[in-house]
Amino acid sequence: MELLGLFLALFGAAIAGGMSGIGSAIGIGIAGNSAAGVMTEDPNKFVQCLALQALPGTQGIYGLLIVFVVLNKVGLLAGTPAPLTWVQGLLIFAACTPVALVCWISAIAQGKTSAASIQMISKKPEAFATSMVLPAMVETYAVLSLLMSIIMLNYIAL
Amino acid sequence: MSYVYTVARLRGMENRFLDASFFLRLIDSVTLDDALKALGETVYSRWLGGLDTDFDRIIDEELWHVFDELRQFVPDRELLDLYRMPHDFNNVKVVLKSLLRVRDGGERRYDLLSRLGSVNTEEIVAAIETEEYGLLPWGLNDVIPRCHAVWEQTKNVRNVEVLLDGQLFASMHAVAEKLGMPSVVEWVKHRVDAENIRNAVRLSRLGLDGGASLPFFHGGGTIRPDNVAKLLGEAPESWGKTLSYSDIGATLDALQDRTDVQTALSELSKALDEYLIRVLEKAKYTMDAPENVILYLLRKDMEARNLRIALVCVANGLNREFVRRLLSHVR
Repeated sequence: MELLGLFLALFGAAIAGGMSGIGSAIGIGIAGNSAAGVMTEDPNKFVQCLALQALPGTQGIYGLLIVFVVLNKVGLLAGTPAPLTWVQGLLIFAACTPVALVCWISAIAQGKTSAASIQMISKKPEAFATSMVLPAMVETYAVLSLLMSIIMLNYIAL
Repeated sequence: MSYVYTVARLRGMENRFLDASFFLRLIDSVTLDDALKALGETVYSRWLGGLDTDFDRIIDEELWHVFDELRQFVPDRELLDLYRMPHDFNNVKVVLKSLLRVRDGGERRYDLLSRLGSVNTEEIVAAIETEEYGLLPWGLNDVIPRCHAVWEQTKNVRNVEVLLDGQLFASMHAVAEKLGMPSVVEWVKHRVDAENIRNAVRLSRLGLDGGASLPFFHGGGTIRPDNVAKLLGEAPESWGKTLSYSDIGATLDALQDRTDVQTALSELSKALDEYLIRVLEKAKYTMDAPENVILYLLRKDMEARNLRIALVCVANGLNREFVRRLLSHVR
């Protein structure tokens, strides 16, 4: 039972990192498909396509950031894990869920928007700046979920 | 391959469409050589041979190349087959008519066969000439013997064509349903409507009434065949009003306020072609909608048709303003 708290905290960190990573991989895959289609016809659009394809990757980074925050909080980074009660572990788990869920879904949504933006620059290369704004709007909610998770983790007293 | 890739690639390919300024330049050409020289600066240049002025061949080569290119990356081959099916049925009509002509001491007209179908023309000819109809797809194995029977009974080629057109639309419906793409099914329905309207115009010029014309209209559209047949009892100017409940009704405005029948028909034909594009056009806002494949092909076909019109007119020295009016969906 004494390890249950630590298990729950690490499980929370794992789903935060894992789910946001899965979302990013899917999002980048969708945008990559679109980029490949556009570049088959016009290889000169590589830079613009790459920039748009990379956008859904940020959610994976946010997930990783939460993993580090949790590991730091429970003392695993310093090599001295703090003794956690199951309630504390559950609280850390709960704090990880915003990033896990929002980053997972938003990365896929952002991948689709990026794919559409890539198709847009295929026809209107001059609209590159505008095309970056559209998927960036989806990013807002991933950033908000990151903030939620960080604030919640910060307020959990060990 | 996913449709995200497919649609993105189609967006890139759309940049190769000939635009309005090119068509204006083309119809301003004084001679056919000048027009072909202008064409040499476009994607069609790869099919231009030195002194070859056979622009029909050039356009067909480009269309065939597009089908071949799409076949390599469109996930559902049936989607392309669906679009190419009318060419197959047209080829069957050519072969059947040739055989009937030969019986009467005429010649085969296999030069009219189109390469643009999904089935090799040689296979169609061989299957029909050897009566191995089972080798043909789209229910042709069943309908061709019936065509022979209808010909024996009526000696009327038009009846044979109606039978084949009915089978064509039934097969298009079946393939679209099998693909499970509701908007493609919808497009097929609208295509049936457009064909029925075209038939109605032709039949009204022949003076047929509603009852006699009913077999010439096909089911499976959004408008019932008997409702289309009823149009023949009315003046063409009021057809738009009669069908105002349907999406296609607005296109019939082309028949209003026209004293010149030929111009009205040409306008209606243009309006129907543009209508079929409009039916699918909302798909262009979706980054992975399969209908974009059909939409691209429709626009490519429209480009080919415009090119043919422009080149024929330049070759024959027709009035430029007249040519400009004939072009449709030029952007």
